[in-house]
Amino acid sequence: MSRQLILDAIPHFEHFLPGQAPIKDFVHHNTLHGYQHLNFPDALKASQERTGARGYELDERYRDYFKSGRINLSDLNSSLEQCNSDKESQLNIDEPIFQIGSNSGSKEFTRRDIYLQALINPLPAITACQLSWEIEEKNCLDNFQEDISPEARENILKSSTLHGKEAEKDVVKDLWSAILEQLELHHLAIHPESLLDLSAEEASRFSNSISNELGQHSQVRQESTQLFNKLVERVGKDLTLRGLIDKISGRDILNNIRPLLIHQIANYLDEGMSAWHSNQQQDGFYQVWRQSATLDSSWIFDDLPEWQDELEILPDDALDTIIVELKRIGIDESRWVKYLEEIALEIPGWSGMFLWRHLNPGYKNLTPTRVEMVDYLAVHLVMERLFAQRVCREEWQLEANLDVLRWYFHRRSSEFYVRYHLFNGKLPEYLVTHAKPLTDGGLLSPEDYPKWKEQADIIWTWKQSDNSDQDSGFSIYRSGWKLFRLFQHLGLNGSNVRTITSEQLRSVCITIANLSEEQRGLIWLQAYERNYREHFFNAVANNHQRGLWADRGVSTEESTSTIPVAQLVFCMDDREEGFRRHLEEINPKIETLGGAAHFGVPHFWQGVDDKEATALTPVVLVPSHEIRENEQPQCSLAQENHLKRVSLKERVLTWFNQGTRRNFILATVQITIGAPVALALLGCKIVSPLRSGNNLKKLNSWLSGNNGIVTSIDITAEKSTNPTPENRQLGFTTEEQADRVESFLQNLGLVSNFSPLVVIVGHGSISQNNPHLAAYDCGACSGRHSGPNARLFAAMANRSAVRAELVNRGITIPESCWFLGSEHNTCDESIIWYDLDKLPTGLKSNLQQLQQDLRDTQSRHAQERCRRLASAPKKPTLKQALNHIQGRAVDFSQARPELGHATNAAAVIGRRSLSHGTFFDRRVFLISYDYQTDPDGKILERLLLANGPVGAGISLEYYFSTVDNENYGSGSKVTHNVSGLFGVMDGTNSDLRTGLPKQMIEIHEAMRLQVMVEAKIDMLTEIYMRQPPLQELVGNGWLLLSAKDPESEQIHIFDPTSGWVEWNGERTPLPVVKQSVEWFSGKYEPLTSCRIENSSEAKL
Amino acid sequence: MSTLEELIWLVPLLPLLSTLWIGAGFLAGWNRGEAGENESSKVAIITSLLSLLLIVAIDIKALIYGIDETIIVGNWFNSGMFSINLSFTLDTLGLLMTTLVATITLLTIRFSVNYLHREAGYQRFFMLLSMFSFAMLLIVSAGNIGILFVGWEVAGVSSYLLIAYNYNRNNATKNATQAIVTNRVGDASLLAAIFFSTLWLGTLEWSEMAASELLVSESGGMQLGLISFTLILAAFVKSAQIPFSPWITRALEGPTPSSSIFYGSLMIHAGVYLVLRLEPFIENSVTASWALLTIGGITAIYGYLSALVQTDIKSTLIFSTISQVGVMFVGCGLGWFEAVTIYLILHAIWRSWQFLNAPAHMHSMSQPTAPAPIWLQRMQRLYAAAMQRFWLDQLTQWLLLRPTQRLSKDIHAFDSNVVRPIIGSSNEINVVSSLAEWEEKSAICDLESTSNSVPLGSGMFGSILQQIATLFKWIEEHLILKGGGDGMVSAIKGMESFINKVEQQLSMPRYLLLMIMATFVVIL
Repeated sequence: MSRQLILDAIPHFEHFLPGQAPIKDFVHHNTLHGYQHLNFPDALKASQERTGARGYELDERYRDYFKSGRINLSDLNSSLEQCNSDKESQLNIDEPIFQIGSNSGSKEFTRRDIYLQALINPLPAITACQLSWEIEEKNCLDNFQEDISPEARENILKSSTLHGKEAEKDVVKDLWSAILEQLELHHLAIHPESLLDLSAEEASRFSNSISNELGQHSQVRQESTQLFNKLVERVGKDLTLRGLIDKISGRDILNNIRPLLIHQIANYLDEGMSAWHSNQQQDGFYQVWRQSATLDSSWIFDDLPEWQDELEILPDDALDTIIVELKRIGIDESRWVKYLEEIALEIPGWSGMFLWRHLNPGYKNLTPTRVEMVDYLAVHLVMERLFAQRVCREEWQLEANLDVLRWYFHRRSSEFYVRYHLFNGKLPEYLVTHAKPLTDGGLLSPEDYPKWKEQADIIWTWKQSDNSDQDSGFSIYRSGWKLFRLFQHLGLNGSNVRTITSEQLRSVCITIANLSEEQRGLIWLQAYERNYREHFFNAVANNHQRGLWADRGVSTEESTSTIPVAQLVFCMDDREEGFRRHLEEINPKIETLGGAAHFGVPHFWQGVDDKEATALTPVVLVPSHEIRENEQPQCSLAQENHLKRVSLKERVLTWFNQGTRRNFILATVQITIGAPVALALLGCKIVSPLRSGNNLKKLNSWLSGNNGIVTSIDITAEKSTNPTPENRQLGFTTEEQADRVESFLQNLGLVSNFSPLVVIVGHGSISQNNPHLAAYDCGACSGRHSGPNARLFAAMANRSAVRAELVNRGITIPESCWFLGSEHNTCDESIIWYDLDKLPTGLKSNLQQLQQDLRDTQSRHAQERCRRLASAPKKPTLKQALNHIQGRAVDFSQARPELGHATNAAAVIGRRSLSHGTFFDRRVFLISYDYQTDPDGKILERLLLANGPVGAGISLEYYFSTVDNENYGSGSKVTHNVSGLFGVMDGTNSDLRTGLPKQMIEIHEAMRLQVMVEAKIDMLTEIYMRQPPLQELVGNGWLLLSAKDPESEQIHIFDPTSGWVEWNGERTPLPVVKQSVEWFSGKYEPLTSCRIENSSEAKL
Repeated sequence: MSTLEELIWLVPLLPLLSTLWIGAGFLAGWNRGEAGENESSKVAIITSLLSLLLIVAIDIKALIYGIDETIIVGNWFNSGMFSINLSFTLDTLGLLMTTLVATITLLTIRFSVNYLHREAGYQRFFMLLSMFSFAMLLIVSAGNIGILFVGWEVAGVSSYLLIAYNYNRNNATKNATQAIVTNRVGDASLLAAIFFSTLWLGTLEWSEMAASELLVSESGGMQLGLISFTLILAAFVKSAQIPFSPWITRALEGPTPSSSIFYGSLMIHAGVYLVLRLEPFIENSVTASWALLTIGGITAIYGYLSALVQTDIKSTLIFSTISQVGVMFVGCGLGWFEAVTIYLILHAIWRSWQFLNAPAHMHSMSQPTAPAPIWLQRMQRLYAAAMQRFWLDQLTQWLLLRPTQRLSKDIHAFDSNVVRPIIGSSNEINVVSSLAEWEEKSAICDLESTSNSVPLGSGMFGSILQQIATLFKWIEEHLILKGGGDGMVSAIKGMESFINKVEQQLSMPRYLLLMIMATFVVIL
């Protein structure tokens, strides 16, 4: 029964373990995807409880934003009100707390005032030592706090003059003593160590103040037993045996387990890095480990005498082993699953990778095919118990079993008391020096026991004193110090404070405490999002009816003047916003559109040089069609030659790169030959990356002999074979092609007014020395390049059979119109073109003109990108900028070849006219959608369903990697070490690091994606009601939804609890510039929007 | 006017200046933060570039005109028969190695400019790279073992600091400690070599050592053997040969460029360089040759087999690196010194390239690594051993680290239980420190005030009698009456358990070892 329970539970582990695929297939996804069914704040909290990872930026970061004006007071107030409306939060912001002054000039302070102060100015608790430091070194009783505002300072000084105190020193001292008086506290400023030497008076005063019906030591015993029970109670809830042992011995056995386990897992899951694997892989990880462990002699050195015997009696089945182990530790059956979850969370990165392979059997047909999570759990459990056994033996000569430990520590409660506080509490140093030797010495004999008792008593005494941080009642270090700072910021003096009752002070303290860390985080986050939103909405409202291409002439009369010279369809990617804007600035007659860059044609792609086909599709889909690229007949000889050369090149490279690390004597030869070349490469690449990069490209192309090879793709299948992912169909039938072209053109709203040249632009990113390469590529194509999709789409749309079919469906593509596929390299801005040989001659000059415009665009866009790159030249010329950007891409010492999606903040689903001619700082996903072509909302519905999760995935991955890079992200790239080709570690023995590295997120601003849809709210409501996935994303607050009315300036904000609320924020005219560069030149921080006159108001 | 080659001291000095400059800047605060990155890296690059240019100029001069092989810049210090010159060796080996070190450090520093950008430890990193550059240049250009020893130590320290670059991580600091502790063995050995050389050869200069009469005399076998042995031991530790290898496989915690320059390309070859310098000695000592052959050979196989099972790029590279370094030692053992010199240089360059490219290795792999030979794959026991890196790691823990830790604990215990009570600053002051104690004391207080005195006597006899009576009472009370609790019985018991503990301690291997060592010292 419980066997099945465990098996059933395992797939659900993906809810809390990192779900990141092997790094070559990196795709952005919501880091907390497993919590998506919860409300955003609740999910963050749940995850924090589980993994300890923080869900919001630190207060300090937000305070910096506040100081720099990125969050203002009205944002904060509005956010407070928003949180207040949530009944559960119980903020009661308008409840008055106390009043200062008499009736005439009285001022009332509400909770809101206190919350605001607590947000803007840190009001931390302080320790005794810190207080001494503040008093003695920073003279906090003589001076105002450093961060107090000039107004507050003035207020206090002015009002104090009335009471006869003028000097700052007196005023501050008076405030401090007033607070202590009101709280009835005495600050003796005893040095903590003097507690070790209590005078008779102190001791008796002290002992009288504490009720002691039981006698002191009995109280210690009682408390200790309670603590112990509470701790053991946690095992199997949020603690493992290892955690328990760590807490009572300070010895973390994970340090012993981790390297042993990691080496085994890595070798088992390895995708081709290692040359030597176990020959038992087909039997599963558990068997591999067991065999290896039996042959292993580690136990001799690790002091694990029971190793061999234990291994012999292990069951053959992993699941049986799990059950045996759980029983041996003494975990109650009802907690087994939970315990296993906790075990998996000990090394979350590796567990996550193991689980990923478990859930994706057959991945890349890798051996071993059998990756079962139970195997991993069983091994981890056995190791945990063996090492726990060692600690228990060495420390207490006991079995590693919960019942045994319980029995032992109930008898020796003083020992537990000392251990618990030593290893978990924040004992002051002088107590640590006394307690530590006890745990080092292994005082097991009964004669030594009084030492434990004595020490337990001392700790207990310390805990009762003012010096420890007690949780109940007022204390100087918590309440006193907080109030001291608060009142200064509120501008109140000692006399004011004396008029506040102690009851009121209590409620002030409660109010401060009410604002938990998470609560503060949420308030700040909302305020921050609001600040951005206000600017964003204002820009959109300002742009109403200003942007071009609003009306595609759905009416039948088409006049040629309204047809753009070219239409370029880009990916919705936020990085393309800048590129599109610059292109439109350069040539306002060009229209740009945006869509998910799979372009509606998911397929398996096999390029002419590829050995196998890869799926170019959003990660949730598995395509059933396959497209192959072939050389054209006249090139077949050249291609054959080329392939030979490529394969030779690969063999040579493999011979050197892999041979020198794998071989033995042969490696000596290989190194001897390879070194001179390496020196030349090293020198060139380091001294002049751009030039050597370009030359290497030329050399490479010359060596591989692919110049002049023209390829084409076979896209058409004669008839449908009812394909499945396993049984793929080569090419699409005409019918299928028409379906796809129709559907994607409808998405774009591009169903009429076709330009002579329609360019579909996929994208990818090429950089060097970058394990996270896939994270920069096209998210809509599972982290690969989407150029082939662009090419495929263009080829379909150019076929006359398809066009004929489309006419039947109401889309007429004029004969003069030609589709071209291309790919934009977002790293170095270059563009590859496909199938230019098929371009009708009449359009050659159009293309040349367009290419010229694109060349200018590349430089201008490079210039804009430079402004956010710290190492780029300041105010570069166009040439410098492009050189810098291209240089970065080929520089193998660059940890930031490009900044990826960093700073993404919003998404617009609507016509380009909504955003056209406005500067959005490369922060907005632009998805084309024309409400005019979608009366029943079907198109919008599929757009939201397809693009919502993609946008949310990118934005939320950046969000979480930014707010807690240590836990949700993968830390700094500089110490990364690629393991098994599937992930990165820090150094050689760490957990697998998932999420984004620090270098990708350092300029990111963590906020949720602001999705604006240009549609009628009624239609949106209908769609929302129909679609549970949208209810989850939007209703739970993972995305922020708003709607811009297509016909008016009105903008509505969607509030999941109360529905649509009209936005009535401040509208201010935007600054106007002629070109983007005027706006961003010389500025390195995030920028608000401006209007670009040139492109929006140009006469056509 | 000094000749060009007499400026050789500038070659190591320049990077040292850079270290000091960056360090001073950081202390004074002028190069902190992102704004200070540019200056720090520029200083490091310019000094290394100047070093390189200078050594290249000297190379060219040496090639065209020839130069003195030994340059004595000055005298470091004299003390009796012991003297160390500030001398440099500019023979072919010295020049080649110095040029190599200067080139690779310059390239690595340049590489790090972008790579380390925006790291919190940026300045620290460049300071340490410069410091390492100083150390390595000193090692390879030193004219005597004394100067070499300085470089040897500084290299060790900078390596320690860079392994612990990410000092927030437990693993990093722990591995750094292991590295430096292991390296102490080599350092001690090098010191011993200095001692023996001074004693028997009367010089530390490479050139004079090579020309020593001992080399040709019949009787000097023992002495020569010891000198070579100590130097070779030092070389084995620095080049991570068996059984000292584990420190280097755990040293890859720092940023990629530091892994590259320390463990991939330069420092690991320092040991080989030292052995190359010993050419005349080794040619005269069959034992030394055998030591090199055996240890080098075993390490080469160890590295090869372990590299096969590694799955992370840095580990596989480091294992194959120590394997190749093992091959170099074998080469030295066979007497192929010139070939080894050339291979050392090529190997250093190749590994530097490979380590710097390590993050991209996964993308350059067009196919999985070729599987190990079939005959090897069958040997599962060997596989298990390779997976555990032949237990060297645990073995060193067991033999080196843990005894050291225990020793320090014992010393601590000795300190607090024996030394402190004697010198009076007892840490168990007789005061009330807990409420429970207070409770107890106040209960006892009442009793003591009444029972602790004997009837008063009068006069001299009376008072003497009284004194005696008090003494007896004290004896009775403390030693006999209180029996079970804190009287004589327990005192005796306590003594017994103390003796037991001493005996137990003494029977532990580390003390046995200490005693044996002490005996040796006495005998010698």
